[in-house]
Amino acid sequence: MQTVQPCVTIGSYIWAQDCLPYDEFTLRLEELRAAMDRNGWPAVLVYGDVREHAALAFLTSFIPRVRWGMALLPRTGDARLLCAMSTRDLPAMRTLTWIADVRSGMGPEWEKAFDPWLERFTDNQAQKLGTIGFDVMAPVLQAAVRRSLGERFVLQRADDVVAIPARRKRPRELTMIRASCKLLETAAKTFVESWRGSHAPETAALDAERVARSLAAQDVRTLVSLDGGRTLVPYQGRFEKCEGLLVGYLAVKVLGYWADMFVTVDDGSATAAARHAEAALDAIIVNMRPGTRIDALHAKAVGALAPYKLHPVLGGSIGHGIGLSLHEGAEFQASSDATLVEDGVYALQAGAADAKAGNVLISAIVRVAATAAEVLVRSRPRTR
Amino acid sequence: MDERVTARKMGRLIEATEHLQTQALDGVIAASNGLNNFLESNAVYVFSGVRPIGESAVVLDRDGRSTLIVTPAWDETRATAISSTDRTIGTDDLAATLKSVAGTHRLDLSRTISVGLSLLGAALVERITSALGALPKAADELARDLARLRTPDELAAAERATWIAERGYERLLEYARPGLREFELAAELHCFTKKLGAEDNFLLMSASQHNLAVRAAGERVLDVGDIILSEITPCYRGQFAQICRTTVIGEPRPVIREKFTILQDAMIEGLAAGRAGATVADVTRAINGVIAKAGYGDYCRPPYMRVRGHGLGITSDRPGDIVDTNARVLENGMVFVMHPNQYIPESGYLMCGEPVVVTDTGSRALSVRPAELDVIAV
Repeated sequence: MQTVQPCVTIGSYIWAQDCLPYDEFTLRLEELRAAMDRNGWPAVLVYGDVREHAALAFLTSFIPRVRWGMALLPRTGDARLLCAMSTRDLPAMRTLTWIADVRSGMGPEWEKAFDPWLERFTDNQAQKLGTIGFDVMAPVLQAAVRRSLGERFVLQRADDVVAIPARRKRPRELTMIRASCKLLETAAKTFVESWRGSHAPETAALDAERVARSLAAQDVRTLVSLDGGRTLVPYQGRFEKCEGLLVGYLAVKVLGYWADMFVTVDDGSATAAARHAEAALDAIIVNMRPGTRIDALHAKAVGALAPYKLHPVLGGSIGHGIGLSLHEGAEFQASSDATLVEDGVYALQAGAADAKAGNVLISAIVRVAATAAEVLVRSRPRTR
Repeated sequence: MDERVTARKMGRLIEATEHLQTQALDGVIAASNGLNNFLESNAVYVFSGVRPIGESAVVLDRDGRSTLIVTPAWDETRATAISSTDRTIGTDDLAATLKSVAGTHRLDLSRTISVGLSLLGAALVERITSALGALPKAADELARDLARLRTPDELAAAERATWIAERGYERLLEYARPGLREFELAAELHCFTKKLGAEDNFLLMSASQHNLAVRAAGERVLDVGDIILSEITPCYRGQFAQICRTTVIGEPRPVIREKFTILQDAMIEGLAAGRAGATVADVTRAINGVIAKAGYGDYCRPPYMRVRGHGLGITSDRPGDIVDTNARVLENGMVFVMHPNQYIPESGYLMCGEPVVVTDTGSRALSVRPAELDVIAV
């Protein structure tokens, strides 16, 4: 789910070398280097900002807490990282990445930060550089990059050439995602218990956030329903108690990896919708295999949910990839011809909003194994 | 929605409409990338009162008719309830909806201006360009100029944000102790200020025996002798307010106390200089003058400090960075944070800052208790 982006991410950020040692990144870079060879790129520029930085984090471990960062990754030689932080912030930035050469991308002189590094690639004719993540870069920054590169380099989009982050999660990534799911379960438990203790939905969500952050979550996002599960809203600070059931959404990030969950606690008004939503989620999970088409899964989910329709907040989607981004890859829409991959990790969602049958939202995070799906975390409609 | 707030928001729309009429323009497309940067003006918030989740836009025509477009589509209900625009549309395709709405408002793009499109992602800008056929001429200063003076309601919100910041700092004094990790303290402060109504918080909080600068909280375990730097910046109803504080765990060395008074003196000079009619450069020079007089003139530049303060979003970041090259004239009702934060070789980086409002006689701090060198007893 999309949520309000905080102005700065507050949490425990560091390059966790025990969990993600340098060799992990050399392995991650292999596929990119192969793409460089195939396409004649001596280097690739990888951009990420505070909101979307999956590729940058996957390759460098660097996560911008404000503004943006850009890695200059060569086929051979040392990498360089530019971040939109002032020079006094650089010592702290250097603790977030394996790249030793971290430079400031702020101030009037920042465009020159490319020059000495790019000098080694200059030739009589313009060189090609691959780019990743430039779609989310503001045009004003793109223009600055192009000015800096001048006539010496031609940028070529690499996003469609090589999938970064890789759709198939690496073993260390699976470990991270499991940790994130575990923390999510703790937060979700707090959310429900706080609400059962007669707190307002926003109070319960804040209690869950506090627990997650105190356990080293790097980011926490919440949405709650103030109208019986019909819609969701971001934090508004109203702390109004609401009659009826509890419907909410929690997302937590641990060492860069997200896990998220819809939570419904039924007061008896949504029993029918809940039963069908569970059936829909079951129908997705039981059919997940490497190679399974998304449109086929969607059809099974919608069939199991019938006669109810997918909850409007889901936007017609029954899930998406999850990992370094809350939404990795395309949404699982009815028309999607994409397929699942082995060791892919997916956030699945089901729910209905029906005047008679009630409103419910539930979800699961699942790893696709060779012969079955492994449920890493799952919410079930609970009773008050 | 509170009627007074509606009136205030409508005021911004009316001012923008008058601008369009004066300039013989058809309309304005004001966009937001969904990032609520505390150093930026969010044009969609200025014109609608809605803090957007995703990319969004307000379309306003010269007849004063207005439409808010929000993403994701499911946010339409919330946005409709809050927005001061005539109409609100939720969509998952901003570009296509913008085309449709621009048509409804009968905008001729050659006579239309834009605010904030340059902050959207390049791919989205391309889609918008393709949908509209061209991009309107950029007028990125419009929203921040119109909103440069806080209205009474905005000032009240800034004062409330300051109140939250001060309560947050009191919580820090209660909660911080040796053995606690920085991120645990930051988590507590963040959630505490949120409970008091802060919708966001640009919270930097870090500690060291000798700080080089403040940064976002990390894994460090607090210890006796640490100097905790905190920049607490809650946002309340679209108004960020920032206080900068320095706290020592255990009795500080005398030199720390001695050097902190330099910052306090600089703050006093800055407040006096920050009257309506003075320039931002005047304020900067007043602050730097005190620090130079104390023998640290060479340190009045990065990386030993960054700026002497800055404007505060998300309505308007005017008057901009408090630096000696900023010739902008201060006006009654402008709000910014003034902070003579400074690295001093003997003490490390120290912080002292208050949100202020410009008056005829100087800048008035919105905070009740000015920054002191506070001590956490051990």
